[in-house]
Order: sequence, then C-alpha cells, then structure tokens
Amino acid sequence: MPAPYEIFVLVKQVPDQGSKAGLNPDGTIDRARAKRMLNPFDRYALQAALNVKKTYGGRVTAISMGPPPAVEVLLETLEHGVDRGVLLSDKRLAASDTLATAYALYKTIIWAGHYDVIFCGLQTTDGDTAQVGPQLAERLGLPQITYCQDFRIAADQVYADRIIEGGYQKIISQMPLLITVANSYHRLEYKSFHGSWKVQQLLRNTEEQNKYIQSVDLDVIGADEQRCGLKGSPTIVAATEKVGEIGGNCSMHEGHSAEELVGEVVQSTNLQEFLAI
Amino acid sequence: MTEEDKTANPVRGEVLIVAEQILGELQHITLELLGAGTYLAGKLGSKLSCIVLGHSLGDIPQKLVACGADTVYVADHPELNTYRTLPYRRVVCNLLDSMDTPAHICLLGSTTTGRDLAPRIAAHFETGLTADCTELDIGSYEHKSKLDPTKVGLYEGCLYAIRPAFGESLKARILGPWKNPQMATTRPGQMTPLKPDPNRPGRIISIPVNIMTEDNRLIIAETLREIGKGVKLQEADVIVSGGYGLGSKDAFQLMYNLAACFANSAVGATRKVVDQSWIPYEHQIGQTGKTVRPKVYIACGISGAIQHRVGMANSGLIIAINKDVDAAIFKFAHHGIVGDVFQVVPEMIRQLEAVKQEKEVQTVVSAH
Ligand SMILES: Cc1cc2nc3c(=O)[nH]c(=O)nc-3n(C[C@H](O)[C@H](O)[C@H](O)COP(=O)(O)OP(=O)(O)OC[C@H]3O[C@@H](n4cnc5c(N)ncnc54)[C@H](O)[C@@H]3O)c2cc1C
Ligand SMILES: Cc1cc2nc3c(=O)[nH]c(=O)nc-3n(C[C@H](O)[C@H](O)[C@H](O)COP(=O)(O)OP(=O)(O)OC[C@H]3O[C@@H](n4cnc5c(N)ncnc54)[C@H](O)[C@@H]3O)c2cc1C
Repeated sequence: MPAPYEIFVLVKQVPDQGSKAGLNPDGTIDRARAKRMLNPFDRYALQAALNVKKTYGGRVTAISMGPPPAVEVLLETLEHGVDRGVLLSDKRLAASDTLATAYALYKTIIWAGHYDVIFCGLQTTDGDTAQVGPQLAERLGLPQITYCQDFRIAADQVYADRIIEGGYQKIISQMPLLITVANSYHRLEYKSFHGSWKVQQLLRNTEEQNKYIQSVDLDVIGADEQRCGLKGSPTIVAATEKVGEIGGNCSMHEGHSAEELVGEVVQSTNLQEFLAI
Repeated sequence: MTEEDKTANPVRGEVLIVAEQILGELQHITLELLGAGTYLAGKLGSKLSCIVLGHSLGDIPQKLVACGADTVYVADHPELNTYRTLPYRRVVCNLLDSMDTPAHICLLGSTTTGRDLAPRIAAHFETGLTADCTELDIGSYEHKSKLDPTKVGLYEGCLYAIRPAFGESLKARILGPWKNPQMATTRPGQMTPLKPDPNRPGRIISIPVNIMTEDNRLIIAETLREIGKGVKLQEADVIVSGGYGLGSKDAFQLMYNLAACFANSAVGATRKVVDQSWIPYEHQIGQTGKTVRPKVYIACGISGAIQHRVGMANSGLIIAINKDVDAAIFKFAHHGIVGDVFQVVPEMIRQLEAVKQEKEVQTVVSAH
C-alpha cells in the first residue's frame, strides 16, 4: 500500500460573468457588485484532487487567495469532500499580477506543510492567463504537467496524458509535482450529503469553522510584502479599450418546423452557390 | 558575445524569440513571432534573435534566418528532442543569463508549449509576462501613480502587450518596463510572418546544453500526433463540422452526407469528439487542431468554446445548428438555427438536393 497522499488544490473566487449586474460602464468588473463563484476551471482540479484521495487515500487541502468572501469557495470545496481549507487574505495583496500571486501562494503552500501533488485549474475566467500554475511550480522547484487531461498514479509515479497541438504526450513524472487540469477531465461530482451537512454546521459555529478553514495573512506565512501586491508586480494594466460585444449579429432562426428554419437559411444565404452540380 | 556585437547594439538588448518545433517540424507560430519581432526590433533599433531547441534540427536554423532572425542560437541535444518543461527552461534561462546586455524582450507563442514554458522563465527572472496577446508594439510610458514610488518615471522603448480581456469585450494594454526581458506570449494566427528570403544574412550559433539530473524527474514516454495531410480542410469552400451534440460516432455519417451536397467540401470536428475517437485527429479544428477559413462553415452540435472558435472564426459565412439557444456559438455565427441536428441536418440535405435538381433541370433545359 502506498502512503496516503497530501493533496493540495488551488481555487480562486471569480466574478460570475454570466450576470451582467456586476459590470462597470467601461466593461470592467465591479467586484463589489458582481456575483461571485468558484472559477469554473477549478472544478476539474477539485475533482482530480478528490479522485486521488478516493483511489489512493490521503487528505485534500484547498487553498485560496482573495478578499474575505473567498471563504465561500473554500466552504464549497468542503461540501465536495475536501478536508481542510486555507484562506490567504491581506489588503497588501491588492493589484497582484501573476508573478506576485504565485509568490504569495508559494509562501502559503510552504506554510501549509507537506504535499505530494498540487492541482491547479487550467486558467481563470477573469485574469485568464494560465500563468499562476507554472509560476508556482517554478517557485517550488517542481516538475509540472499542464493541460493534463487524465492521469493515474502507480508506485509514486504519475502517468498522465497532456494535450498538445494535434495530439497528446504520454508523460511519466516523479512526485511531488504540480498539475494543471484541462477542462476535458472528469466533471465535478455532486456535493456529498455528509459534506453539505458538515458545512451547514460550520456556518453556524465560527469556532468550529476555524478548525476546518485556517485564515492567514502575509505575516503569518512570512511573506516579504515588497514581493506582494502592487509592489511585487512587474506588470501593469496601462489602458483598456472597449471592443464592443463580439458578433451579436447572428440572425436567429427558431420556433418553427425544421423545414421552415432550414428554408429561411437556404434562401437568405449564398449556400446554393457551392452545391455540387 | 563578440566585441563587434556590442558596438553594433550598445544600448538595447535583443528581442529574443523562443522557437517551437514538434517532432522536428517547425511550428507556424514561430514564423509569426519572427514577423512581429522584426517589427519590434526595428522600432527599438535592436537585433532580432531566436533560440531553437531540439535534436538533429536539419535546416530549421536556416529557415529561421530566412524568416527574420539576425542570430539563431541552436541548442542541439538528444535530451531536447521533445519539449519538456525543465530541460527547455534550463537552456533558455542559461542563454538569457549569459547575455552581456540582457535581452530587452522575450516572446513565445500562446501554444500548449509556450504557455507551459514562458511563465517559468518569467518567474525565474521575476519579470512581467503578458498572456495571449493579439497585438504588440513599442512606445513610451510615463508612470505617475505614487502608490509605489520606485516605479515612477518616464520609460522609453516599452513593450506594449495588448490582449483581449473579459471574454473578449475589452482590450487591455499591459506593460512592464521596470524589468527586462519584457515578456509576452502571442495568440496563434494573429501576427504576420515575413516572406522567407533565403539570401538574408544571419548568424547561427551553437550554444551549450547543461541538463541536470533534476530536470529528468519528468519524462515523455510518447508523443502521439496525428495531424494528417489527408483531409483537405484548408482548401475546402464548405466545411461541415460536427461536435459532441452528434451523440455518437455513427452520427458523423450525417456530416458526410451534408458535405456531399457541396462541390468542394470537407468534414471538420471539435477536439471533444476527436478525444472520443468518433473521428480522427486530422479533422480537428481549433487551437490545437487546424485553423480554417472556408467560405461556409456549418457547425452542428458544437458549443463554440474559445479553443474551437480561434480555428474557424474567420470563415466567410458561419451557420450554427444547436438545440441550446444560449450556446456560445450563436454569439459569433452569422445564422443560427435553434434545433435538433437530427431534424435540421436531414432537412437541409433534402432542401439542398431539391435546389440541385432544379438547377440541373435548368442546365439541361438551357443546353437545348
Ligand atoms: C484584464 C486583466 C488582464 C490581466 N493580464 C495579466 C497578464 O497578462 N499578466 C499578468 O501577470 N497578470 C495579468 N493580470 C493579473 C492576474 O489576473 C492576476 O494576477 C490574478 O491574480 C491571477 O491570474 P489569473 O486569474 O490569470 O490566474 P490563472 O493563471 O489563469 O490561474 C490558473 C490557476 O491558478 C490558481 N490560482 C490563480 N489565482 C489564484 C488565487 N488567487 N487563489 C488560489 N488559486 C489561484 C487556480 O488553480 C487557477 O485555476 C490581468 C488581470 C486582468 C484583470
Ligand atoms: C488546451 C486545450 C486545447 C483545446 N483545443 C481544442 C481545439 O483545437 N478544438 C476544439 O474544438 N476544442 C479544443 N479544446 C476543447 C474545447 O475547450 C471544448 O471542450 C470543445 O471544443 C467542445 O466541443 P463540442 O462543442 O463538440 O462539445 P460541447 O461543448 O459538449 O457542446 C456540444 C453542443 O451540442 C449541443 N447539442 C447537444 N445535442 C444536440 C442536438 N441533438 N442537436 C443540436 N445540438 C445539440 C449542446 O447544446 C452543446 O452546445 C481544447 C481544450 C483545451 C483545454
């Protein structure tokens, strides 16, 4: 029997872009008003972490950096069966770019203790850079598998399929390592009854909640504040320009019989020009 | 570096492109980056260089010179045969470290390789990296905000890295003039390559490769690549593409039947159905498949994920058939049919056949 694994998964709270409510007139997100959600790509990372626990045994720790409401996404991961959450929250983290974010998460991970595998989402739906995972792996000096579509573990080695242009790579890696999970990985399963019940209890009892979710700031994790937030960020968003909704010009054909719908399209386009005659 | 180079370019470091090859095949993104790099180096008055890693690279270095590189650094080693994060990272970082004048800019593609490697290099040098750019330029920038006093000042020759943000509704211009190399990855298909000129002068320099044991913690057992030349997706006037909404491998016959209505057509697919082995790789369209620009693109049971869209969004006429009125594909299609593919596609075949017969009759009549 292999030793049970210490499994880390990184989750970010992002604005729900489906809800138009939280947009500023210039198209940027009004984070105060926007509805918040777990980054959809992190659901695959979460499932990967839970699968390792289920198949090989171990403990899953979910880690998030964000303002205090980000505790919501950690509670959500507990509902799915995560064992412990760590929330890094600190005003000095404001305006972090990916380098500063990766530094702060690196210090949090070191603080959180031993790990065998770290899972990240492919990217987020707000910053959308896909850079934090590899930058974190660099800080931790780990091998990485990005765009991982599936994997199994045998004798403390990870066997993985990685998406590349026009195909796959079959990869074998030692542990510990960092994996970013593609959105073609298994979908997140439903919340467990036990998990939901547990979180209901935690919501009523702060003391109990603190046993499962540890809140830390830069001082606790021993981070250098010069390398965090605005100061630690080598990039800056110098200007934004509204491009306008892409498309929006689609003529929709709906609500009639297939015959009428197709008729409308065949008659109103140049489709006929290309027929084989 | 020789004395001569220093005098040729006393102030600004070079613009470095990290080339990409898969199984010895130079990737198109590298030619695009060389095109963009030529423009940037021209504006900066600096040199354009390119590093290529691999084994038995054949005439790739010469091609890189022909497409714009003033200097090509060649790292040739059996262990570099296939891309792997750690060995490639080591060699590129060593090269950047060895430069007398640090490189001013370093660019990679937003491919599965570039997005894997670029963040590691940027983190190693603690420099800024802008993801997935669609435009690059050079300009000046004055930083006035005193929130961080160390950053205040006027900066010349900054990389303007422009990228779509928030679901492509915004364009953000991102800068990082405080630290070199200023880094970015660019989205495939956005930059224009130069016309290759076999007579362009350029230097080809072999560089040392020092891979450490720890770089071999991860190995590639196999690279499976099946982009065939058999399917003429790029030349087709009409592409009929099928997605996961088709529900089964057998349903692809419907795609072939619709394609058969047209004179010059081909069948395409999304990665999701290729992954299901419903149809071979060579039919895949999108970020990790082919980029196509047919006159007509008919998308059947395709949701319209960004990775698919980048491969077909420039098609002349996009017709989407999807039963979900909220599917993303309706945001950029020209005509959207909300309905079941199994009703709509057979009906489309029937109507097109009818039009064909009508036209044939007309042709016969007019021939008399
Ligand atoms: C419009 C816009 C454009 C930007 N462009 C750039 C840019 O080009 N370069 C740059 O350096 N910065 C950029 N940023 C800043 C960047 O979005 C933030 O640094 C952000 O904190 C992290 O990047 P991301 O959201 O892109 O994460 P990604 O790198 O896309 O996230 C990948 C994975 O890392 C993990 N992760 C990321 N953030 C957290 C977190 N806070 N807590 C826990 N896990 C996390 C998750 O598992 C996630 O799935 C941009 C921001 C905006 C608003
Ligand atoms: C690194 C990376 C690279 C990728 N590269 C590519 C790439 O090159 N190309 C690519 O295509 N994808 C690529 N993907 C995958 C991409 O993210 C999407 O997962 C994929 O494009 C979705 O395929 P789909 O539209 O067929 O399936 P789905 O997203 O599952 O969509 C199926 C659609 O069919 C509709 N539908 C279902 N039944 C019916 C019916 N009876 N009639 C009508 N409509 C129906 C549904 O409403 C739905 O919209 C990549 C992903 C990653 C992470």
